[in-house]
Amino acid sequence: MKHKYLTSTALLLTFATPAFAVERSEVLDTYMNIAAANYADSLTTAQALQTAVNAFVADPSAEALQAAKNAWLAARVPYQQTEVYRFGNAIVDDWEGKVNAWPLDEGLIDYVDNSYGGPSDENEFAALNVIANPTFTLSGQEIDATEITPEFLSDTLHEADGVEANVATGYHAIEFLLWGQDLNGHGTGAGNRSWTDYAAGDDCTNNNCDRRADYLVAATDLLVSDLEYMAAQWAEGGEARTTLTDNTDAGLAAILTGMGSLSYGEQAGERMRLGLMLNDPEEEHSCFADNTHNDHYYDGLGVQNVYQGAYIRVDGSLVSGPSLSDLVAETDAALDAEMQGKLSTTMMSLGRIKTAAEAGFAYDQMLERGNAAGEALVMGGVNGLIDQTKSIERVVTTLGLDQIAFEGSDSLDDPDAVFQ
Amino acid sequence: MKRFALALTLLATPLAAQVDTPDAVIGDVLNGHILPRFEALADSTQVLANAALDDCNPTSESLRRAYGDAFDAWVMASHLRFGPTEVGDRAFALAFWPDSRGATPRALGTLLADKDPIAATAADYAQVSIAARGFYAMEFLLYDDTLMTADDTAYHCQLVQTISGDIAATAQNILDDWTPDYAAAMQSPSSDGIYRSNEEVLQEMFKSLSTGLEFTSDTRLGRPLGTFDKPRPTRAEAYRSGRSSAHVMLSLQSLQDLAARLAGDNADLADALDASFVRAEAQLSDLNDPTFAGVADPASRFLVEVVQQSVDGIRTIVRDELGPTLGVAAGFNALDGD
Repeated sequence: MKHKYLTSTALLLTFATPAFAVERSEVLDTYMNIAAANYADSLTTAQALQTAVNAFVADPSAEALQAAKNAWLAARVPYQQTEVYRFGNAIVDDWEGKVNAWPLDEGLIDYVDNSYGGPSDENEFAALNVIANPTFTLSGQEIDATEITPEFLSDTLHEADGVEANVATGYHAIEFLLWGQDLNGHGTGAGNRSWTDYAAGDDCTNNNCDRRADYLVAATDLLVSDLEYMAAQWAEGGEARTTLTDNTDAGLAAILTGMGSLSYGEQAGERMRLGLMLNDPEEEHSCFADNTHNDHYYDGLGVQNVYQGAYIRVDGSLVSGPSLSDLVAETDAALDAEMQGKLSTTMMSLGRIKTAAEAGFAYDQMLERGNAAGEALVMGGVNGLIDQTKSIERVVTTLGLDQIAFEGSDSLDDPDAVFQ
Repeated sequence: MKRFALALTLLATPLAAQVDTPDAVIGDVLNGHILPRFEALADSTQVLANAALDDCNPTSESLRRAYGDAFDAWVMASHLRFGPTEVGDRAFALAFWPDSRGATPRALGTLLADKDPIAATAADYAQVSIAARGFYAMEFLLYDDTLMTADDTAYHCQLVQTISGDIAATAQNILDDWTPDYAAAMQSPSSDGIYRSNEEVLQEMFKSLSTGLEFTSDTRLGRPLGTFDKPRPTRAEAYRSGRSSAHVMLSLQSLQDLAARLAGDNADLADALDASFVRAEAQLSDLNDPTFAGVADPASRFLVEVVQQSVDGIRTIVRDELGPTLGVAAGFNALDGD
């Protein structure tokens, strides 16, 4: 067992015992196999959501709406675990805005409460309400939205006017259409949209029920087709795989880039700490469904999955193989133990947020001004994520990948230094 | 933002031998760059707090001058985002920007409308949303047409004084953590310390340089630039007080100082870095556009883009030459993500 070497011994043996060596290419294979399974699971759970949504709009009822909500919540479990693939794989990062963009100005899509306000400095379409407005003007052009189709949502409405908050597609747009605005502020309770927002004839509440149903169906269809695309990229021979296998070390660097960028800048910073410091319930990742505790938990789990080279599929089966952990342990067993320990600490902290939320202490209550217990819970997760990022940087160095640019930008791309 | 590229430079071989010892470089950056900046921040924010107590009128010249000096001190330290600034919400409480959802005017508007008693003391105010704290919130209270006035001028005055006091307290807390504890941790890495080796310390310092340049390029310049079809002059930093361009200049000058210290005795590299900063600064000062309002006009927009390209040119030298010379890479930073 390579894990049992003392550090000094391991360093010596690294060079002496190639028979024990974990092949870097095998570690990359495991990473890609997990991705393939994880995106395939995201697709099948989205198809289940599609079935539930179609049944609901065909015959609206409170029960059918609840079934669609349950399907949405289930679909988030595998999807959130894929987020660790985002930073590090350009093919994912370029695509993910279609399916998981957030935060959104939901007034673009449907009716909102008066407290939401109208167009803002940042976004003049913040209150467009396309469900109520079959035609409107966008950047001087008359737009025909009489038919709400997947193409209209993805090509015209999404990021309309170049504003990122104009999120017209993906999980969070669907979430809004199922739950509606959460008007409970820092109190308990999620959005409380009535099933009658989709009812036929006189039973229809808040008008335009048919257009709302068209939107929900179109957005769900689009989610499924977008996930079909991504699942195919990770299947045998898919582009995401061939890009990674072009250069094994660049592939390993991509794994670590994904782990570190998600842990620190995205999850600890943008999604958790900022919302806490702003005391703003709108800063919840899933603010309509009050599912943010699960978003955070499964994001964290995805990071742990790719380090340990193991993923539990939605059918309960295990996908696993030679892992980064094995590779690091071979060179520096103490560092592997440190990395494992920090990932576990983070999962414990994220688990505390999840258990508290499931027991009734909603994530938006945790964000409230002066709520010390909530602040401690959220900061526990943030601190774990920041702390594990330091160890991820050490892993990068130990594996000799330190000239990796953790997240480059267009302006810095220079062709002879970039592997595409 | 959908920018992404996985870059892996092929050559990690140092371009030239580092003559200075890592110890000397670390000591020089600490004592010549970092500590003076946090001392200046603590001092100037205390002056601001006193000025607000003397005269809280938003148009008061002495108040605005003290505010400007303290904000300058922050901008010059704003790239040093590690350790003491990251305890609790300190750096965010000094500087919440960009504010893409308009949280600052909304939070201030609510406080003013409710005459929220939380503003009675700076200590209580530390619980308030970061959107209503720090230099960017103060800018609205001193320069925004709507928020610089209030029905209840006494409450507005209290808010100005409390926010100033909160800023000064935060700056003092940061300095207290730097001296002596955090400075010692950087000067003397140890296996059970925050930093385990000189390389980790140098990486932290290098990261603050590269992240500072990234922020100035992508955010201070990139936000108002928007796209050619949709320039966004009202997204310029602190445009209400006319400070947008000055912030770019101050940050470049401060980063220039850090880069020079990190380059140490490597004269060729130091010269290349210095020349690249000098060029960007000259282009910026020729621009003569305090708020980057010119981004909306194709001719003057081009000149802002030129400045941004020059900053990106500095970033390339830093990444491809300074990093390998120091034997470190950028690592992860808070701007990763979207």
